[in-house]
Amino acid sequence: MRRSAATEPVKARNPLRDPQDRRLPRVPEPCALVIFGVTGDLARKKLIPAVYDLANRGLLPPGFVMLGFARRDWGHGDFESIARDAAQQHARTPWREQVWARLSGSIKFVPGSFDDDEAFDTLAATLDELRASHGIPGNAAFYLSIPPPAFPTVLKQLERTGMADNDKSGGWRRVVVEKPFGHDLDSARELNSLVDNVFTPEDVFRIDHYLGKETVQNILALRFANTLFEPVWNSHYVDSVQITMAEDVGIGTRAGFYDAAGAARDVLQNHLLQLLTMVALEEPVSFDSEALRVEKLKVLRAITLPEDRKRYAIRGQYTQGWVAGERAIGYHQEKDVPADSTTETYVAVRLGVQNRRWAGVPFYIRAGKRLPRRVTEIAVSFKTAPHLPFAKTDTEELGHNQLVIRVQPDEGVTLKFGSKVPGTAMEVRDIAMDFLYGEAFTESSPEAYERLILDVLIGDKTLFPNSQEVEESWKIVDPLEEYWQGTTPYHYRAGEWGPREADEMLARDGRTWRRP
Amino acid sequence: MIALWDTTGQEVVKALAAERRSAGGVTSGLALTLIAVVDERHVRDTEQAAMIAAQQHPCRLIIVVRRNVLDQDSRLDAEIMVGGRLGPCEAVIMRMHGRLALHAESVALPLLAPDVPVVTWWHGEPPEKIAYDPLGVVADRRITDAAQANDPDGALKRRAEDYAPGDTDLTWTRLTPWRTTLAGAFDTADGTATSVRINGDRHDPSARLLGGWLQARLNVKPSFSAKADEPISAVDVTLSSGTTLSVRADDGTAVLSRTGFPDRTMPLLRQPLGEELAEELRRLDPDEPYGAALGATTGVKGLNDRDSTRVHIWHDPALAEKPEPDEPDTPPPARKTAKAGS
Repeated sequence: MRRSAATEPVKARNPLRDPQDRRLPRVPEPCALVIFGVTGDLARKKLIPAVYDLANRGLLPPGFVMLGFARRDWGHGDFESIARDAAQQHARTPWREQVWARLSGSIKFVPGSFDDDEAFDTLAATLDELRASHGIPGNAAFYLSIPPPAFPTVLKQLERTGMADNDKSGGWRRVVVEKPFGHDLDSARELNSLVDNVFTPEDVFRIDHYLGKETVQNILALRFANTLFEPVWNSHYVDSVQITMAEDVGIGTRAGFYDAAGAARDVLQNHLLQLLTMVALEEPVSFDSEALRVEKLKVLRAITLPEDRKRYAIRGQYTQGWVAGERAIGYHQEKDVPADSTTETYVAVRLGVQNRRWAGVPFYIRAGKRLPRRVTEIAVSFKTAPHLPFAKTDTEELGHNQLVIRVQPDEGVTLKFGSKVPGTAMEVRDIAMDFLYGEAFTESSPEAYERLILDVLIGDKTLFPNSQEVEESWKIVDPLEEYWQGTTPYHYRAGEWGPREADEMLARDGRTWRRP
Repeated sequence: MIALWDTTGQEVVKALAAERRSAGGVTSGLALTLIAVVDERHVRDTEQAAMIAAQQHPCRLIIVVRRNVLDQDSRLDAEIMVGGRLGPCEAVIMRMHGRLALHAESVALPLLAPDVPVVTWWHGEPPEKIAYDPLGVVADRRITDAAQANDPDGALKRRAEDYAPGDTDLTWTRLTPWRTTLAGAFDTADGTATSVRINGDRHDPSARLLGGWLQARLNVKPSFSAKADEPISAVDVTLSSGTTLSVRADDGTAVLSRTGFPDRTMPLLRQPLGEELAEELRRLDPDEPYGAALGATTGVKGLNDRDSTRVHIWHDPALAEKPEPDEPDTPPPARKTAKAGS
């Protein structure tokens, strides 16, 4: 909505922009991108390379400045050379010296700590100077790539210096927040009200990088651009839905954050629930961010938790084992994890969506670390045919028809259905039909961060959850966390598909987990 | 890869099916069929370009090389490649000798992937009239390259006279970086354009087309600086407010100047052929802005109102080019036309 308000008058004034002319890419207005925590992993591995890739593809406006802020004794040049290394190492597009040369003139650095008033005054002054030096009329996006405890300090500094104020700055001022968006409903509300007050709610962009993925956006195309799937996309035909997000890695060096959060807060609250809403939502009136949000919120509000949490909300924790031919240590042996930690590294729950379309259809959701392989997929399993005019032995190998959306890796869609086994006997078995995005295509398709940064600078909010969505998701996760409080997660060996209790959960319903 | 010498259309169809099977499950759906009409010397770079384009648009590529159309002896040689170095692309390269070359569609039609759009691309001298080439008539989208014409000056005019919605030209595709930069420069314009000057050869089809586009959008007839044989190097626009916007190309970058503001630079690189082709294949509906720009460049009106379907016109180069008209032209053998359809 905001996008049309903010950018369309410009388009109408510019006679060279024609809505029919779809070759011209969307390019933001002249603006600055300010990155807090520019020395962190995310900035080095994702943000700076994404900015280079955008520049390389000609998608940054002529007036563009990247401003780093961190507690380092650096000049503009030091930061530039570090940014250069980061971009060279992690960019996905080929390295072109000219592109960097052009970008390097627009890289600035302001040293300082977050409680240093002077540093923020310098930052504000630096942004003001861009008006004259780079023709940037006050537009800036602030990327908070910093630990959540530092949020309030930085936001208050932005407020104090007036940097967050659209009117004072004469352009737009936006803020980009990374997950975690709080650790429960109360903390999320607190954070939301803080961010939404310092900036205006429309100017807050919460990044869920899953939504930047090509396949996730394709779910909507698959459902709403076709007639084939939507008629059977309901409880009359769908038996159950399984959403899996498996990682083969352990927690790595994130013990500090992870042990306090756990799998449910880390990925269920954001990525998995966002995937679920994409599968379950009703057709939006249009594809603008507001219409889509209305539908997503309806789904989130309709999600129900299992009554019997002991059996349908399973937590797991990995113990030592073997993953991909290598010995893996258990969670308790990971560095900086307390020996008595009851944090889960695996979670499986059965959710319901209480509306006419989905009543009675279970949504089985699981996520875990140290599982056999890295895979994220959504499997929609259809009911078996009400009557099979075959002998019982003929269809023994026939399972449910399935539509599987593979989010990563091997991005694509699989359709599984019964087909006759060639031969004289009438035997039916399952076969899978695959649609695979070309391998090279997925490799060269825009990294999620590239797409999302561009959307922030353009002001397109379609792929960003807002505060309401975040709060609704916490309303789903909080009761689960409350139930789990004081319980111990079941154990599973590293390299297994989760604890046995998760398998029993499905077996009790007469189903099994799909092996992704 | 299978190579078939002195073969028939049926053999090619069978061989393609066999290659698809032996390549294992065909891993990727096909989005379109791309027919490339090329000279022998362009076969390799056509493959190269299609390989890049196929990464975004998995396709069946049919390369047609026509040789010695005046020769009475017809012969078909074919190479078939599925997967492998071409990536998600299956290719049939066919060399057609003699009269068969004038009936290339009889071999190509059974090879088109079922029910997906067909794009025909002339990588070389564009046809005089697309309707003369049956491979252009079957296509939903037709790509020419006026820059490769022997007479680039007249080539745009010919394209405009021959235009039907769904035609497009690579000289237009090559302008996209320029147009993007100019549109970016214009975002901050504070008035309407009063004069436009293009620093480029007035005979260069790309420069002329850029002029046509600016004329269509800004209602100002551009002037060209008179250097011959030079690509577009700068565009200056004067606005009613007195401001000058100028974009100068400088070794892979564009320098944007605007009165009262510091200069800024943007990347402005020529894309490899494969990327240009990929851009063309992204949208397969008529490109109206191209029609409008072509119309403004050549003064031909109503391009976008034309009918988008063409009817094949039988045109025999033998009658037009043969030095001795007394030699009777043999009508094409009936068995070859039986499948032609049009």
